[in-house]
Amino acid sequence: MKKILTGIAIIITFFIIYFLQANFFTWFTINGVMPNLFVIFVLWIGLFIGKKTGLVCGLIFGIYIDILVGKSIGISGIMLALIGLIAEYIDKNFSKDSRLTIMLIIAASTAIYEIGIYVFQIIKWGINIEILAFLKILLIEILFNVILSIILYPIIQKLGNFVESQFKTKTILTRYF
Amino acid sequence: MYKSKKTGIIGIIITIIILILIVILSNTDLKQVSYLENILGSIVMPIQNGLTYLKNKIAGNDSFFIELESLKSENEVLKQKNSELEQSLRELEIIKSENQTLKEYVNLEDKYQDYQTIPAYIINRDISNFTKTIVINVGEKDGIKPKMTVISDKGLVGYIISVTNNTSKVQTIIDPSTSVSSLISTSREEIIVSGTLESNTNLKATYIKADATLLENDNIETSGLGGIYPKGIHIGTIKQIINTQNSIDRYAIVETAVDFSKLETVLVITNQVEE
Repeated sequence: MKKILTGIAIIITFFIIYFLQANFFTWFTINGVMPNLFVIFVLWIGLFIGKKTGLVCGLIFGIYIDILVGKSIGISGIMLALIGLIAEYIDKNFSKDSRLTIMLIIAASTAIYEIGIYVFQIIKWGINIEILAFLKILLIEILFNVILSIILYPIIQKLGNFVESQFKTKTILTRYF
Repeated sequence: MYKSKKTGIIGIIITIIILILIVILSNTDLKQVSYLENILGSIVMPIQNGLTYLKNKIAGNDSFFIELESLKSENEVLKQKNSELEQSLRELEIIKSENQTLKEYVNLEDKYQDYQTIPAYIINRDISNFTKTIVINVGEKDGIKPKMTVISDKGLVGYIISVTNNTSKVQTIIDPSTSVSSLISTSREEIIVSGTLESNTNLKATYIKADATLLENDNIETSGLGGIYPKGIHIGTIKQIINTQNSIDRYAIVETAVDFSKLETVLVITNQVEE
């Protein structure tokens, strides 16, 4: 029962994040650059729920985003699924109890996600490659996501530990074996 | 983990304040800082005035006292004249703005009179930093089809890429994957304008012929080639011409006529797509 409720809570949170991203963060920007809350959210699912939930949620949420506002369906789904998968791998090999680790994971995941999307755009749409403009936007987006992760860290930890206790039975770091 | 609950909360508050400051400072136009100038000036200027007055007095400037009365009366007359001038200036500005609005309306009517349009509101903007699409509140039920052109009162906005029953997705001309075949309105030279990642107000004009005459402030309009946009829709004006060593590589920065950050309503041209 608790698992079902958590599942519903995840779906509601996705919609809250979507509306935040589409409304609040379209004007609350750093030099016109928005953060990417979906990356943080899918990372959180992958880190604390595991069992390929990050992968599945990333895929579904990404495809949904593509359907709503994307130009082609699939790439956000693939990239978010990849982030969910990376999060599960990280969970097995690193401790989540460090704010710095979470910040670094979020920075790296944001970079992987946006680079993937940009490369896809270059291949699919044949857009002009603007490395400097891309790096500028990417760095600001990473900074924004990292600042948000500092602010949200206590919530990420508390809710994460609660959800982890519902879904995971054993939390043993494989690096000790 | 945070060392203690109290320091944790303080840390979060400081981070939130820093984030808000970064957001405000990064989005504030330097021209808007004049209020800060006013506040800082109001602290210093009265004291500065008093000190100047004292300095003049101590220096024994006799003419200051002699001419004081005549200056006062002259000042009154000038003030009266100034308020009369301000009043007529205000009236003129109102007439000027009315005239401008009427001119724009007449031009728009003349320019786009052959097109049937459906008005629409923007209901969603892109949530990515690397694409610039918008969603409008008209769809298949209203007769909207993919590849229809979207314009605003100022000029070209983009084209429809997909439709649902009640909404349509529009790829704007500032999207990096958009290229529009265009004409320079004065010389009638063909160019290609494309969106860039860097800016939401500028386009990059390329494929400029080596012998083409290009001037700043020249208007750019659609050429009608490419099968999406009809001919003659205003895109923007040439803001800057970038000359390179090789003349065929030169490009121009085109400022869009439409201000996409403030765009709220658009028109979809419905009688242009022939299936």
